[in-house]
Amino acid sequence: MTVFKTFWKVVKKYKGTVLLYTIILLVFGIINMQTKESNINFVGTKPDILIINEDKEGKLSKNLENYLRKNCNCIELKQEEIDDALFYRKINYMIHIKKNYSKEIMENKNPEIDVKSTRDYNASLAELMLKRYVKVQNVYKTKIKNEEDLIQQINKNLKENTTVQISSKIDNKQVENASYYFSFASYSIMAVVIFVICLVLSSFKEKNVNKRTLTSSMNYKKYNRYLLIASLLYALVVWIIYMILGIIILKDIMLTPRGGIYALNSFCFTFTSLTLALLISNLVKDKNAVNGIVNIIALGSSFLCGAFVPQEFLPDNVLKIAHMLPTYFYISSNELLKKIEVINLKELQSIFQNCLIMFLFAIFFIIVNNRISKYKRKVG
Amino acid sequence: MKNIVEVKELTKEYKGIKAVDNLSLEVKEGEILGLLGPNGSGKTTTINCILSLLNYQKGSIKIFDKEMNPDSYDVKREIGVIFQEVAVFEELTVYDNIDYFCGLYIKEKETRKKYIEEALKLVEIEKYKKFYPKELSGGLLRRLNIACGIAHKPKLIFLDEPTVAVDPQSRNNILEGIEKLRKEGATIIYTTHYMEEVEILCDRIIILDKGKILAQGTSDDLKVLANIDEKITVETEEIEEKIIDKIKSNKNIDEVILNKGTLIVTYKKGQNNLGELIDCLKENKVKYTKIYSEKPTLNDVFLNLTGKELRDNV
Amino acid sequence: MFKHELKYSLKVLLKNKILLFWTLAFPLIIGIFFNMAFSDVEKNEKLDIIDIAIIENKSWSEDIIFKNAFESLSDDKNKERMFNITYTDKKNVEKLLEEEKITGYIEKDKNVNLVVKHSDINETILKYVIEEINSNKEIIETLSKKEIEENYKNGVYTIDYQKIYQEVINLINKEEVELNDISKNNLSYTMIEYYTLIAMTALYGGILSMFMINKHLANMDSVGKRIAISPIKKGKMLLATLLASYLIQLFGLLLLFLFTIFILKVEYGTNIILIILLAIIGSFAGLCLGIAVATLSKSGENTKTGILLAITMFGCFLSGMMGITMKYIIDSNIPLLNKINPASMITDGLYSLYYFDTYNRFIFDIVSLIIFSLVMILLSIRGLRRTKYDSI
Repeated sequence: MTVFKTFWKVVKKYKGTVLLYTIILLVFGIINMQTKESNINFVGTKPDILIINEDKEGKLSKNLENYLRKNCNCIELKQEEIDDALFYRKINYMIHIKKNYSKEIMENKNPEIDVKSTRDYNASLAELMLKRYVKVQNVYKTKIKNEEDLIQQINKNLKENTTVQISSKIDNKQVENASYYFSFASYSIMAVVIFVICLVLSSFKEKNVNKRTLTSSMNYKKYNRYLLIASLLYALVVWIIYMILGIIILKDIMLTPRGGIYALNSFCFTFTSLTLALLISNLVKDKNAVNGIVNIIALGSSFLCGAFVPQEFLPDNVLKIAHMLPTYFYISSNELLKKIEVINLKELQSIFQNCLIMFLFAIFFIIVNNRISKYKRKVG
Repeated sequence: MKNIVEVKELTKEYKGIKAVDNLSLEVKEGEILGLLGPNGSGKTTTINCILSLLNYQKGSIKIFDKEMNPDSYDVKREIGVIFQEVAVFEELTVYDNIDYFCGLYIKEKETRKKYIEEALKLVEIEKYKKFYPKELSGGLLRRLNIACGIAHKPKLIFLDEPTVAVDPQSRNNILEGIEKLRKEGATIIYTTHYMEEVEILCDRIIILDKGKILAQGTSDDLKVLANIDEKITVETEEIEEKIIDKIKSNKNIDEVILNKGTLIVTYKKGQNNLGELIDCLKENKVKYTKIYSEKPTLNDVFLNLTGKELRDNV
Repeated sequence: MFKHELKYSLKVLLKNKILLFWTLAFPLIIGIFFNMAFSDVEKNEKLDIIDIAIIENKSWSEDIIFKNAFESLSDDKNKERMFNITYTDKKNVEKLLEEEKITGYIEKDKNVNLVVKHSDINETILKYVIEEINSNKEIIETLSKKEIEENYKNGVYTIDYQKIYQEVINLINKEEVELNDISKNNLSYTMIEYYTLIAMTALYGGILSMFMINKHLANMDSVGKRIAISPIKKGKMLLATLLASYLIQLFGLLLLFLFTIFILKVEYGTNIILIILLAIIGSFAGLCLGIAVATLSKSGENTKTGILLAITMFGCFLSGMMGITMKYIIDSNIPLLNKINPASMITDGLYSLYYFDTYNRFIFDIVSLIIFSLVMILLSIRGLRRTKYDSI
């Protein structure tokens, strides 16, 4: 019991670090939840745009504005906020309709429209819509000279007439959020588990403390087993805390079978992190060095395996390297869960496979760890 | 002889505890003054106050006849301190460490070089010049600590328990070094709780407890305070109460203590106390394995003054 | 004396592997991670060619307009090619969609029907293309009808249908929509990642000043006691040792710049002088942060290192290191948080240099950093100036 108690006392010393990474995850999770609505019906992606309409009285410009408002998310910003918003892709496109636009159209001129684009997917889409409207308008304006008729004709033409069926039935946004949360959590879990376990165990294994325990009446093997169990317990507590946070942030999705799979997946990952932590604690004794190694391992595997940037955006060669890290398989499962529609055994096969690979990593870490311990015992 | 250090009515309180209580002392030129006292008696605090590292509530401190302040640079230049804890840079070699600290006092490079060599020689760590502190054993580290403190040839040296946790060789080396420093003309203040060291080394001793001076003087002066002249220890198996009473009847006797097979008899005076005691034991057929007589030690002095032994963590 | 202190401070710092790791090596390693993770993000933002399928039936082959339009949009000689089309039957098409080999498929009966799996951007683009073709079709029909009606009205009965039809099509094809694109050129937002990296390096540099100040304070380290009793003015001494820390910090930044520019091929833009100026001032802020942590916290060296690293890491998180949009979200929702976050001041200053033509925001960030530094020094000044302590 003393071993347990002392273990937790030392853990308490590092509560600052645990708090730091948890807060980072919390901030990330909450902010992520704020964005966008859910979509089970096909609504089409709506690019985020900003319209500046200086042709206040013009009916044609008003009509253009209405069309854009219907097909895009219009965002209102102050003039000085526009450029920042474009850079950070808060809006993808800005459309500036100048004064006298309607008048000039009716005079069969070609008034300029100023645009600012982020030159990405959504911007292209916004541009596609705008160009289509302007094209229809310009073609008709050569033949139709009455403003009301022109507007009517344009709107008739632009009326949606394609039926779109959507075959997928899952609420993308909610599931996406869950996947983001759990993928990002890999960073926090890894950091918190490896950092604390390495530091705590290095306190126990510190030369003089270790000598004292070696000479104490407690069986050394038993002592080591206690430390192991305490570490396991700690990892379990970390996992439970992050699951509770998950439920608080993601709400009902966590209480579905899909939520259960997320939990199972992160449990495997936490366990693998724990075995890695034990291995590192055996290799590195210097507390300062632990800090550096944790940062590199946690940040490195998060960047390379797609915790911060979705895996689909990572270059292929990076993903190949990522296969050597357990985090990759964890995040892979999260991304798969985003796509699976019905939870059944067939669909879950690759997720279980990923869990298995994580366990293999864990076993590998344990074996290496044992080898090193044996070697060390022989040498010194 | 003039006073190098003069402390008058120094009082230092911290969080309601008086660490130094109305303490006055002088250190005379060329002497080695021993500050003796158990842990927590206020030795280090006193030194830190003298060095102007600590605030104090009351009192005045003069070194070389000048008021001591944090910016009394002229005074500081002549002082060397060896702190209890090893204060060196882990990142610097033995030589660089000494050079760094010496360089805070001695600007001229050639002189400094000479001084460093002398310091290395004094504590006999010339061989380890290029070693880093963590490669040194405890004793060598202590010696490096000393070299860093005295390389600039200070006139006044404070040594705060320099021999704690040191092997006998290093301890001898350190004590010899201190003796050498004195011969070169330094005045030394030496704190310790090892009485033997003080007895060998110090010209004058101050015994401190709870921030107060209990006694001061030479080793012999102090032993008078022990109020005994001779102490005889008998290691024996068992002894009857009435025999003890018989021993006690001797008029020279101060005290008789029986403690687990050890009989300690102290005498206030007398010429043939040991002979008389042996005779007495023979008469009463007391068997003993060992019997020896000692002159009083500082421990006895301390025991007599405070009622407790002068040991660690008392 | 100043030289002596400088020399040995440098020696001490350059010998301390942990400090060098954080200031010199760690930023480079993170830089490599960034480079690996972000090199493709923006390429992926551009439109890819979308894989679609079309069910081949009679209705499709009879609709010339649709057929021609899709053939043209999937022609690999066309610069504006958008689609890669598989023509197949219904059964196969569903399999392809299920396996997500295609974005969606088109089935033509009376209308054009689109079936997709998700409701995402490629699907939307596909839908819009179909609608555009539809609307062209309608234009042709409407305008031709109108032309014919007008001919009737004018008493012309010998109508060349083919000619009218062709005229309308020409009208449509001739109509090129010109938009006046006034976008800014520097839109690469992964730059933010490298900016946070510069911010991190600048602030982690504070670990050097923290370490050295710790060593020079009598109430923090035993070496500090030894220094305190030496006949040297404290101010001068601290200045020398801080200069040493600063020099190494700047060396770390130089290393980072060289590494990112020449090996990772990051393009910082034309304002490199101002960028370096900001990095130098940012490092100074890091230096001051280090001093503050050293003097204000009573804990041991390890804990202080932890505090400094935590402050820096959290600051960098808020300014976008682990997700670029974080900076924007904080900037627009809790602006105060990033106004007092030194990592964000550095990141934002670099961003404003990259993106804006004016210098107002850059100057604001520079001033913020200077104020931050002064506040840190003010907070530490008592601890730095103290020569006597209540307890050590």
